[in-house]
Amino acid sequence: MSSLISVAAQPRVFIRRVRPNRLSWFVSPLLVLLAWALVAQSGRYSEQLLVPPAVVWDTFKDLLDSGELLEHTRFSLSRLGLGFALGASGGLLFGIALALSKTVEVYCSPLFHTLRQIPSIALIPMFILAFGVEETFKILIVTKAVFFPVALATSEGIKAIPRNYFEVGRIYRLPLRHLIFDIAFPAAAPPILTGIRIGLSRAWMVLVAAELLAANSGLGQMIEMARQLMRIDIVMVGVVVIGLIGFVLDHGFRLLEKRLFRWKTR
Amino acid sequence: MNSLVHLLRRGRGLLLPMVLIGLWEIASRQGTAQAYAFVPLEVIGQGLVELIDSGALLISTLASLQRTCIGLLLGVTLGIAVGASMAMSTVVERVIGPLYHMMRQVPILGLIPLIALWFGSGEGAKILIVSLAAFYPMTLNTFEGFSHIEPRYREVGRVFEFGPVQQLTQVLLPSALPSIANGALHALAFAWVSSVGVELFLSTGAGLGNLMMNAEAGSRMEVVVIGVLCIGLLGYAMNQLFTRLSQHLLRWRDTR
Repeated sequence: MSSLISVAAQPRVFIRRVRPNRLSWFVSPLLVLLAWALVAQSGRYSEQLLVPPAVVWDTFKDLLDSGELLEHTRFSLSRLGLGFALGASGGLLFGIALALSKTVEVYCSPLFHTLRQIPSIALIPMFILAFGVEETFKILIVTKAVFFPVALATSEGIKAIPRNYFEVGRIYRLPLRHLIFDIAFPAAAPPILTGIRIGLSRAWMVLVAAELLAANSGLGQMIEMARQLMRIDIVMVGVVVIGLIGFVLDHGFRLLEKRLFRWKTR
Repeated sequence: MNSLVHLLRRGRGLLLPMVLIGLWEIASRQGTAQAYAFVPLEVIGQGLVELIDSGALLISTLASLQRTCIGLLLGVTLGIAVGASMAMSTVVERVIGPLYHMMRQVPILGLIPLIALWFGSGEGAKILIVSLAAFYPMTLNTFEGFSHIEPRYREVGRVFEFGPVQQLTQVLLPSALPSIANGALHALAFAWVSSVGVELFLSTGAGLGNLMMNAEAGSRMEVVVIGVLCIGLLGYAMNQLFTRLSQHLLRWRDTR
């Protein structure tokens, strides 16, 4: 009985603790913003080095109005999209083959696990030499960054499906179609989606890096150009936009995972 | 006879890499244009001998490793401190948490232009990037390790009337250690990658990234290939070393 009461009482305590604190999430960012504005105003550092927040905001609006920001974002996102589509579909297919066929596993897995160890960033100079500084190299580096986590998650996700699920299916004499779509797919989908999410955020990081090094468009190129011109305000706008896009991609996927796998009991 | 079949069976995994290397070699012989992208194996071998003889490979590798270690040390120490204090105190969590989660969203290499403008392109800026890369996963995992301690362990500590220090060393730390070790493993991987990454951008001083970037400028594919192999190999070796080490050090915990 006493345990029932304590369980019932818990939510109220929880709400009382959290509610007034909700706004407190904004306190420290606002304080930092204020401190930034004050230090910038005090004139201790030159305005070129410590740009006041208001100037950064103006720059953001200028870049937005001129369409420059959207143009760069569009270039970056279309590279990400194309590379992601190639890498994710390739990774899915290869992962499935790796999980289902013993032959594929025996012949391909040593190479796969070796290549997986090479960080994508380190491949940038090699890809530039092999494919030039044009679009091909950027899309391929994104493809590479997505392919390996997706392939790994797919093959492990499929291998981790408990065998007795299929035995139950066989007892009910389910046709193959049902075995795949009603048993295998739901069981393997959560780890696969997690792999896709990890691949996507790695791809975004690598793409920004590739654009910093060699590009004539894209958000990475925008901040690299601004760095050479000593325009810290543009760099800051770019950094914030890059962070925001990364955040939206990652959290969008997390929400998707939550929605799709509501039925999961954990 | 049986052992030969066994050997052949075990060697099947090597077939595909060998075929690919063969194709690479054939592609490199198709003319000068192809030899530019697919350097012949012989040239790669010569390049390796040359890099080892001149000491360039050793110097670059040591410089990269040193940078990774210093950054790792700073990032891990700070990450454990911040993560633990965020888990222990709600106030600290509310103050640092939002800033931490905002900062974490920016890809670490995207910060390079900003950090280069503020701190120059010297060793300091590089170590800052590497330690940031190590700091993020370390903080997150330490925080989770300390906040997911089973209440009954704390209760046991209370029953024994542990003081704060004893509670920390006898109860909290042992429960959080696996998560902290996991964080350090992530931190190691991120520190290594970002250390190479930052060397690609800020081309002062030595490092494997610099070596590769210079080779790219001089279109010396063989040096780039050697650089990539070195980076992959060292990353793998460090990962294995650390995993073994943490398994050994955490062998007292019951494996679930």
